[in-house]
Parts: sequence; structure tokens; C-alpha cells
Amino acid sequence: MTTNVQAPTKLFYEDVQVGDSIPKLVKPSLSHIQLVRYAGASGDFNPLHTDPKFGEMIPGVGGIISHGMLIMGFVGQMLSDYVGPLALRKFGVRFKGMTRLDDVITCIGTITEKYEVGGEGRIAGKVQAADQNGDVKVSGTFVAALPRRIEMQ
Amino acid sequence: MFDKSKIGQSFPPFTIEVERGKIRELALAIGDDNPIYQSREAAQAAGYSDVPLFPTAPTMFTFWGNTKMVAQLVSLGINLMGVLHGEEEYEYLAPINPGDTLTGVMTLVDGKTRQGQGGTSMDILTVEIRYTNQRGQPVLNAREMIIAR
Repeated sequence: MTTNVQAPTKLFYEDVQVGDSIPKLVKPSLSHIQLVRYAGASGDFNPLHTDPKFGEMIPGVGGIISHGMLIMGFVGQMLSDYVGPLALRKFGVRFKGMTRLDDVITCIGTITEKYEVGGEGRIAGKVQAADQNGDVKVSGTFVAALPRRIEMQ
Repeated sequence: MFDKSKIGQSFPPFTIEVERGKIRELALAIGDDNPIYQSREAAQAAGYSDVPLFPTAPTMFTFWGNTKMVAQLVSLGINLMGVLHGEEEYEYLAPINPGDTLTGVMTLVDGKTRQGQGGTSMDILTVEIRYTNQRGQPVLNAREMIIAR
């Protein structure tokens, strides 16, 4: 990646080992207001996420459910805190379950790989968001490019 | 049931300007109060040249940028009433900065119809949106899988 952006370094390649845990992120319980706010910010105005009457008409839903993308956003916040937003090269998730009002989401992750691409140090990991009962809502993977200590000297 | 002959079809390009205020709005809606997303001054104080892109900010480019998305998905023959989001993936190719104007092109890259019990069926579609910046440089690929019942 060509870049003229001097990104602050949160983490060095040498400091990460396969099997390391990413500091977990516990979010406040999900509120209706947050879903309304997220709808406005993201532009996803599907009434399934804001209108309780609409959700009740859809079989298997029964009330408001969160945007899956909000939960991916929680995982994005964890990764932003860990490697910084400019280090990310890839970030993908699968949506596995519906998140409802008052659910408390915890995001976790683990480093699965360390490798080099064209001299650039990269880490790959798996991430997950689950509720207070351990039900997984989102699972996925990411790749980030990290600077080496020697480059910074 | 969606129209299989549409696989490979691309839709007309759309454009979206990357706005600092929208990045801030998204980060706050997610509940991320990291100052780097709040203002250029705070981002610069932390060593960034400007407010960086929040990892899931590309979702705004699609919803706010491609105002014809609903009509485009309907034209593929799917029922939007029961649509679920199955997967989302971003490949960040180059930095995206506030003030950049992105052009996105959405393509239906894959699709299948799965038969369920009692004559029901669901369509599983994958669309890819490739973004370039005002200099024609590829900056981001977004892929999403949606399930229409």
C-alpha cells in the first residue's frame, strides 16, 4: 500500500504473537435510541431496526432487531483501538444471530497468523461479538499491516 | 426468485464525497468516542493527517451514495421485504481521506436460489462494490452477501 499518511503506531509487528488475545470490548446494553441514531448515521432506514410494529409482522423476528452492521461496527471499534484504523487491510464478518434491545455485546479476538507480503509485516486474526448468554452475533476475520520497530529507528 | 441471467451485471456508477462530519456521526452512533474520529485537530494531535476512516464507514458510502440501490436490488428480482444481511467484507486498498470523492460501481458477482421446505425458497446474492477516488485510484472493495426470503 502506498501511503503518504503518517499513521501513529499503536502496535509493532515484533510485539504480536500468534495466539495473542486482542483486548476485549464490552459495549453498553443496546438501546432503541442507539438504533435510531445508527440508522441516521449509516443511512440504513430499514424499519426492522427502528419500528417495533414492523418487526412484529416479520416471522421469526418479533420486534426490533439491531442492524448487523452496528455489531460489525462494535468489532471495528475493538480493531481500531488495537491496531488503529489505517493499519487495516481486510475486515470481514458473517452475521450469525439477531441482536435485540438490552443485549450486552462483548467483542473478542485472537491473532491467528503472522506473515510478510512484499516486506510488509502483517497479522491476521479472528474476531467475534457475542451477547450476555454467549450467543454469537458476528464472527469474522481481519488482516492488518504493522510497522517494525527497526523501521521506526 | 432472482434472475440468474443478471449474474455479472454492473449498475451505473454513483459518487459520494467523504465527509469528516459523517465519520464523526458514525463513530458516535457506534459509541466509539475516540477523539481521532471527532475532529481534524484531535486527529492531528494523535499523529494523523486528518480524521481517519472508521473501519465500517464504507457502509455509509453505499447507503448514502447509491440512492438507487433499492431499485437496483429489486431489478434483480428479489423480494426486499424479507432481506437479511449474511456477510460483509472490506478490502482497504489505499487511504481514504475527508474531501475525497469516491466513485462506486456495484456488480452482482454471485447468486443462487435454495429450495426450502413446503415450496419456499431463498435467494443468496453476493454483490461487490468497487470504489475509486478522484484520481482514478482503486481505494476500497466492499462485498456483501444478502439473503432474500
